[in-house]
Amino acid sequence: MTRAEHDSEHSEFDCSRARMQLYEYLDGEMAPEDIDRIREHLAHCGPCLQEYDLDQTLKALIRRSCSCEAAPRQLRTQILARITTIKMTVEFRD
Amino acid sequence: MLTAELTPVTGSTQVRRQYVSQGPGPALGWNAMTADQSAFPRPSHASTADQRSVREPSVRQPQPVGHNVDDPSLDEPALDMSTETPQERMARFEKDAMPFLDQLYSAALRTTRNPADAEDLVQETFAKAFAAFHQYKHGTNLKAWLYRILTNTYINTYRKKQRQPLQSDAAEVEDYQLARAESHTSRGLRSAETEALDHLPDSDVKRALQQIPEDFRLAVYLADVEGFAYKEIAEIMDTPIGTVMSRLHRGRHQLRDLLSDYARERGFVVEGATS
Repeated sequence: MTRAEHDSEHSEFDCSRARMQLYEYLDGEMAPEDIDRIREHLAHCGPCLQEYDLDQTLKALIRRSCSCEAAPRQLRTQILARITTIKMTVEFRD
Repeated sequence: MLTAELTPVTGSTQVRRQYVSQGPGPALGWNAMTADQSAFPRPSHASTADQRSVREPSVRQPQPVGHNVDDPSLDEPALDMSTETPQERMARFEKDAMPFLDQLYSAALRTTRNPADAEDLVQETFAKAFAAFHQYKHGTNLKAWLYRILTNTYINTYRKKQRQPLQSDAAEVEDYQLARAESHTSRGLRSAETEALDHLPDSDVKRALQQIPEDFRLAVYLADVEGFAYKEIAEIMDTPIGTVMSRLHRGRHQLRDLLSDYARERGFVVEGATS
């Protein structure tokens, strides 16, 4: 096996493993001992870094697009009215 | 009916300790709202700014265990639910739970896909939450507790009568605007696909979210918009963590495919869009 073949095989293993774990890394769910390994891999592997960049962009895009929307004012009023009714039911029962 | 759905079982310190060793994320403190109500300290309202900003990956730090459990001086005065008057409970609910109204409404909009159902769902959620509020353990994750009720209510009620077909996005298309090109480009490594996705308008992302199966949509929403940990999502959706990860994986891949299609339709170049 040539050196190049060996490197290629080695990096394929790393890539498939890295790809499987990208979301966990992205979501901050990765075990500490794995974080250094994937960082190391991303630092040296262009294709995986691009993949990670895409995942990161998608996550940020979803967050940005679903920014918090204010509830209609009357919804709050309705909820408080309903809760008051429930409260009175409780008081009556007690 | 409420009490049947939200039956409390008294928790214990031992149960709490077991959670600690289970690693990375803290339990919600109300295991599926049926088995365990042990307190697990976690800021109930983590700063919205923090949750919505893009975060560098890192280890998800478990909240300091025993913080307001072992040291009562750090906590608010202990609440005795048995002596709390309905008036006091209502005041506590208004102070602690009502601030989540906008967030829950936003989530309900994405879940039900139309404002009328979203309002019904949120109203129902808060009514149930108040009726069960004496079961909620002070100091545990209130936001996740509310999301759990929202999810349950949606599944039990609204999913069955979900209006079909999907509403068109006519209104949202009008406010179409290109997102700002952010400063990421300096990295120089971005693929054309990444570049294209980042320029999509919000309405496209919302449209794509509506296209994917709701279990995927909810998992992605809870993770990416609300920033819940896998473990919290698992408890909110009442499903194993492995299922959460699978839903996230499939949901994100479907979203990526849909958004790449949209980018192509809009004439943004997408080269080698593989997934």
